[in-house]
Amino acid sequence: MDFWREIFMALSRNKLRTFLTGFAISWGIFILIVLLAAGNGIMNGVSDQFSDQSTNVYMIYSGETSKPFKGHGTNRSIMFNDKDIRFLETEVRNVGQVSPRIYQNGFATFNDKSCSVFMSGVRPVFKDINNVKMVEGRFINELDEKNREKVIVIDENLRDKLFDEGISPLGQFIFISGIAYKVIGVCEVYEFSSGGNDYVPFSTLKAITRQTKYWMLNFTVNGLNSKEDNEAFTEYLRTQLAHFHEFDPDDTSAIYIRSRQEEYLQTMKILNTLQLFIWIIGFAMLISGIVGVSNIMRITVKERTNEIGIRKALGAKSRSILASIVTESMIITTIFGYIGMWLGMVAAEVGGNVLSKVQEGKEISLSIVPSIDIRIVLLATALLIVCGVLAGFFPARNAVKIKPIEAMNYR
Amino acid sequence: MDVTNAGFLRITNGNSVVTPINNKAMIRLEKINKTYFGAQPLHVLKGIDLEIAEGEMVSIMGASGSGKSTLLNILGILDNYDSGNYYLNGKLVKDLTENEAADMRNRTIGFIFQSFNLIPFKTAMENVALPLYYQNVSRKKRNELAMEYLERFGLKEWADHYPNELSGGQKQRVSMARALVTQPKVILADEPTGALDSKTSAEVMQILREVNQSGITMVIVTHEKGIALRTNKIIHLKDGVIENIEINHPEQIDFSKEIK
Repeated sequence: MDFWREIFMALSRNKLRTFLTGFAISWGIFILIVLLAAGNGIMNGVSDQFSDQSTNVYMIYSGETSKPFKGHGTNRSIMFNDKDIRFLETEVRNVGQVSPRIYQNGFATFNDKSCSVFMSGVRPVFKDINNVKMVEGRFINELDEKNREKVIVIDENLRDKLFDEGISPLGQFIFISGIAYKVIGVCEVYEFSSGGNDYVPFSTLKAITRQTKYWMLNFTVNGLNSKEDNEAFTEYLRTQLAHFHEFDPDDTSAIYIRSRQEEYLQTMKILNTLQLFIWIIGFAMLISGIVGVSNIMRITVKERTNEIGIRKALGAKSRSILASIVTESMIITTIFGYIGMWLGMVAAEVGGNVLSKVQEGKEISLSIVPSIDIRIVLLATALLIVCGVLAGFFPARNAVKIKPIEAMNYR
Repeated sequence: MDVTNAGFLRITNGNSVVTPINNKAMIRLEKINKTYFGAQPLHVLKGIDLEIAEGEMVSIMGASGSGKSTLLNILGILDNYDSGNYYLNGKLVKDLTENEAADMRNRTIGFIFQSFNLIPFKTAMENVALPLYYQNVSRKKRNELAMEYLERFGLKEWADHYPNELSGGQKQRVSMARALVTQPKVILADEPTGALDSKTSAEVMQILREVNQSGITMVIVTHEKGIALRTNKIIHLKDGVIENIEINHPEQIDFSKEIK
């Protein structure tokens, strides 16, 4: 009781010293937490993006040749056709389902409202490949595709433009270029593209537009787990397609083959580097925090050398002096460490909320919402506290070791 | 400063000399040697033999470097010695553990320093009470005793003031109160008037004299002849040995006069 009263008095009578020491600790922990939270935010934002999409997806885009081959000149555009689709579906073991994607521009009307529209003709599997999120109704199914049904899945933008609020678009017919489509579903706006989020069956749009060459093929793959698998597969595809379309297999601009898994792996690699970087910064912050706290503790004890000498001359035992100094530093580091931790978490939380608000409604592809791992926060705080106490302990131990007369004369 | 009404005067009777009540040695030094091992070893005390009886008031004089501060530190168990024997109040002070030394300092010795050595963030009363804290005296009792001693030194109204709010003389009186609050056997004073003007010095010396006359052995280190003359014995130290011991008759000195 008396011991605690002495400590409390020493702390309250030396407000500036107490505050400065405490501030260093609070600040160190605060910065550390905010930094880690921001880093986690970036990580989460990017991973979220990927978790929305299946990674076992390939996309093939058409390009233009840049090398002459077998009598063909350059700048010949390579488009895909039904033969390619059949080849992929039946002859390539790793390919699951294929969905080409064709487009049509048009003008959609419903009652007295109208709006320009950019339709995609896709197969049912497209929903899984591009992770189309339904708001209501359903996506195109196999029956629609088989029977060339005139059905359409519209996105929220088109719904808002054509339909008054409170009217369900499901089951309604909208007219696009003179053809009536029955609305079977409403989907979310796809973040990455500026249009083409209104889907009709591939077979329907193909029949209407009489397209036989396709600009893009999407398909799912199975059993490609490593980077090497993907590379070999890409190589194989390129060679085969080069054979069909008569272009140089080494001509990289003739077609583009993109693997989302490869993208995913690559991004993860960058992210891991980023995370490592954040950890290094965080660790450096922690170190500088520890050094700062240690230094203040050391100076504090030095400053008190006189007092220690006086107390010893008056009959204080080394142990009691040591105990009170260590307890003081423990109290300061714990209380202020806790404050810093708390402020850091509040800042991360508030920052997260503000950022979510800002990002809400905007088509921002990356949402950076800070988040914190409470275990790391506690660990870092504990580490700082322990270091603060140790930083007080060692100089204090040295100070109580020197003879009282030297301590008293210390300046 | 109205020390004439301070408590200690009641113990004494005017100019009569209070000689040691008995000849029991409060301090006995036998062949004390002390060397500081630095870049160049410094043999500071070279076989000091000294006896100070209970109730005596002695001063130690010597040029700087004569070893007088070292001697005082050894007497105060603030420093250890290399060889010889030091008996304090009949007990051999040798190879004490830190805790034993701290205890002995706390209970037997009171210190008065030139620079007062008060703890700046404690009030006068808390400073005086501090030695009792290390005796585990209860807070209430501590503060009562501290107030009692402050009152004796005419500092009752200053009990709640911090050292930087006190004058030099007041600070020294606080430190004297602190030295006495544990009722020590010996007071060791290191240049107690070194930081004070001559008028205040005289007052402090008078208080120390009164304290001594209450039976407490007093050792004062000084380089001022005027101070030394107000003690019963002057021990002249030179180059680590006792040159001579001068017997004084402080009773012939008018203590109310300023020290020249």
